[in-house]
Amino acid sequence: MSLGLFQVLNMASRAMQTQQAGIEVAGQNLSNVNNPNYSRQVLDISTSEAVPTDVGIEGTGVQATGVEQVVNQAVNAQIQNENSVSSYWQTQQQFLGFAQADLSQQVSGGNSGSTTAGQGIAGSLSDFFNELQTFSTEPSSLSERQVLLAKAGTLASQFNQISGQLSTLQTQVNSSLQTDVTNANQLLSDIASLNNQIATTKVNAGSEPNDLLDLREQKIESLANLVNINVSPQSNGDVNISIGGVQMVDGAAVADTMQTYDAGGGQILVKAATAGTDLTLTGGSIAGEIDVRDGALGSLSSGIDTLASQLITSVNAAHATGYSLTGTNNQLFFTGSGASDIAVNQALVNNPALIQASGTQGATGDNTAALAMAQLANQLNPGLNNQTFSEAYDGSVATMGQSLSSANDQVSQQNTVQQALQQQRTSISGVSLVEEMGNLSVFQNAYEASAHIMSVVDEMLQTLVDIQ
Amino acid sequence: MIRATGTSINDSMVYQVNQTLQNEQQLENEVTTGLQVQNPSDNPSAMRSILDEQAESSSVSQFQNNITQVQQQATSATSAMQSLQTIVSQASDIATEADGTTTQQDLNNYATQVTQLIQEAAQAVNSTFEGNYLFGGTLNSQPPYTVSQDSSGNVTSVTYNGNTSVPSVEIAEGVTLASLPVGANTTGSGADGLITDSRTGADLFSHLISLQNDLLSGNTSAINSTDLPNLQKDSDNVTQQIATNGALQSRMNAESTILQSRGAALTQLTSSQADADLATAMTQLQQNQTAYQAAVQATASFQALTLSILAYLQ
Repeated sequence: MSLGLFQVLNMASRAMQTQQAGIEVAGQNLSNVNNPNYSRQVLDISTSEAVPTDVGIEGTGVQATGVEQVVNQAVNAQIQNENSVSSYWQTQQQFLGFAQADLSQQVSGGNSGSTTAGQGIAGSLSDFFNELQTFSTEPSSLSERQVLLAKAGTLASQFNQISGQLSTLQTQVNSSLQTDVTNANQLLSDIASLNNQIATTKVNAGSEPNDLLDLREQKIESLANLVNINVSPQSNGDVNISIGGVQMVDGAAVADTMQTYDAGGGQILVKAATAGTDLTLTGGSIAGEIDVRDGALGSLSSGIDTLASQLITSVNAAHATGYSLTGTNNQLFFTGSGASDIAVNQALVNNPALIQASGTQGATGDNTAALAMAQLANQLNPGLNNQTFSEAYDGSVATMGQSLSSANDQVSQQNTVQQALQQQRTSISGVSLVEEMGNLSVFQNAYEASAHIMSVVDEMLQTLVDIQ
Repeated sequence: MIRATGTSINDSMVYQVNQTLQNEQQLENEVTTGLQVQNPSDNPSAMRSILDEQAESSSVSQFQNNITQVQQQATSATSAMQSLQTIVSQASDIATEADGTTTQQDLNNYATQVTQLIQEAAQAVNSTFEGNYLFGGTLNSQPPYTVSQDSSGNVTSVTYNGNTSVPSVEIAEGVTLASLPVGANTTGSGADGLITDSRTGADLFSHLISLQNDLLSGNTSAINSTDLPNLQKDSDNVTQQIATNGALQSRMNAESTILQSRGAALTQLTSSQADADLATAMTQLQQNQTAYQAAVQATASFQALTLSILAYLQ
């Protein structure tokens, strides 16, 4: 005995269902052709079990055994890693770019014979010391005293402004850090939840929930943008996540979360909330925020603060050796202790005659103290690593510039790397319009062929019935 | 064989177009601003140099201003000194003419002239520059000399109210100079005295008063033996100060020239570091624009090709 007409009918029916599934999968792929987070799916087709018959082992047709994603986990892992690296440098680039803008030391006047490097603190320092020079040639002039106080006031205001801007920037970094940690914790929760959903769906449906797998991968890559993670795929399909050696996602459970804390002086750091240990962060925007805040931005802010502090100390020391036009000797030139609060002594502003320029009491033409203050411009200051005030400031600007330049180069490099990886992933997992249109045609033709088999079998059955 | 999808090809093309656009933006910026270094991050070491050069250039300009100040002050001082020289010369002429053959009436007339010369000398040495007295040392807010007269109008004394300290001016980094003499210095060291200096024996006002008194008393012998030689010392002293002042102005001219050269060199240095090579930048811009057009055209062609597959399958 052969298979029998009814078996053939079943075979044709199963084949039609299989081709229909193929069309459905092609349709799913085509629908998601522009979805960057979608991995193309293929229908797993295999021959159904052959059965022994009188004429031999005969096949029973085709069956669809599942719908499978086409992904390369190695490429995905690389993308996760590079996301962390890219995000780290982009964060540095962003905040250092803000700091550079705040300094206002842009060059202008190119090819005009008068190229200058912006006013900023550099210009104000020069103006202040130059005015001290002019003042030293006319120490008894009230008008020159007023000009000097105005220039000193401008310099002090510059320090205050930039100090404030850098402080605000630090606050913004901390705020961004807090937000990123919150988002990271949400993503950890989402991933754990997806682990649970994927496991449940696999049990209930008996197949891989490809859309949930895509969503989980998307969440993992978003998390990698925020923090460097270690992804451990499990044999049961779960993905475990650890950060800095601390388990965060363990199957369907969130084992630990990230928590910010103040390490003192506004230095916000990140630790594992349950384990209580500091997390070693080497990538992602969170590490970028911490490193830029405590590194380049911290150095810049500290450098400017030290500069202001040394300026206050040095100028006041020289001023203290002098006498005013009225013979007094008891006023500071600058008040304050650093960049945030440096100011010209209001007593001098109210009465410029109190500026102590003379080295001899009563000798209004004596300029010893004024000249000493002016000559501070070219003195090497031990408190500034034996640099002049201008050199110290210029060095701080250049150091910040170098940090930003490095970040720019890294971002550019990472863009190329990420582009290449995305290309690689798209070549594996991306939907090809041409391919899917071809598949549609193939499955359609196969469906028609299987339908024809049913027609033929139906006719044969009718023939049998008609036999009298 | 690497599998290519429409999306991957499109993404790649768009990425390349964006890269070309970024280059375009950078080159456009370079051409329009004329700068290859605008921000510290463009070239940190060049920026450091530019800032340092700018600080030095500003300092150089300030020193030039200081030199101008010194020169203007020296010019005022020269004018006063030349007046004094004329006065001393006139006094010497009077002393020469007041010999034993001159009548007392004539001697009295000469005395009156000398009294007038003392007043003129006091006026000259009390010259000011920008509101400050030139020859009072660092006590320059009051006239350095005060003339006292008796009821007959004869000068009895001329008092120096200044001191022997002179303010210094910085004309180059670390280089300071005191550019003026004081009215009187009897200490034997320090600033030169224009009227009185114990080192040269000059004491103009005392000598003029002595001449005046000797003329009034008819003491022609003393005029010849004492007053004339003393006036010669005064004349030599003033002449020396005029020469010193002249040398000072020459030195200021030379320093100013050096500073001008330094300033020009700094400007050139800054430009060489910051300014863009416009010819090269414009050439690169044109090349980039050509590349951009080609990339955009290729992208458009591909996108048309993708759509055409649907037409073939209809």
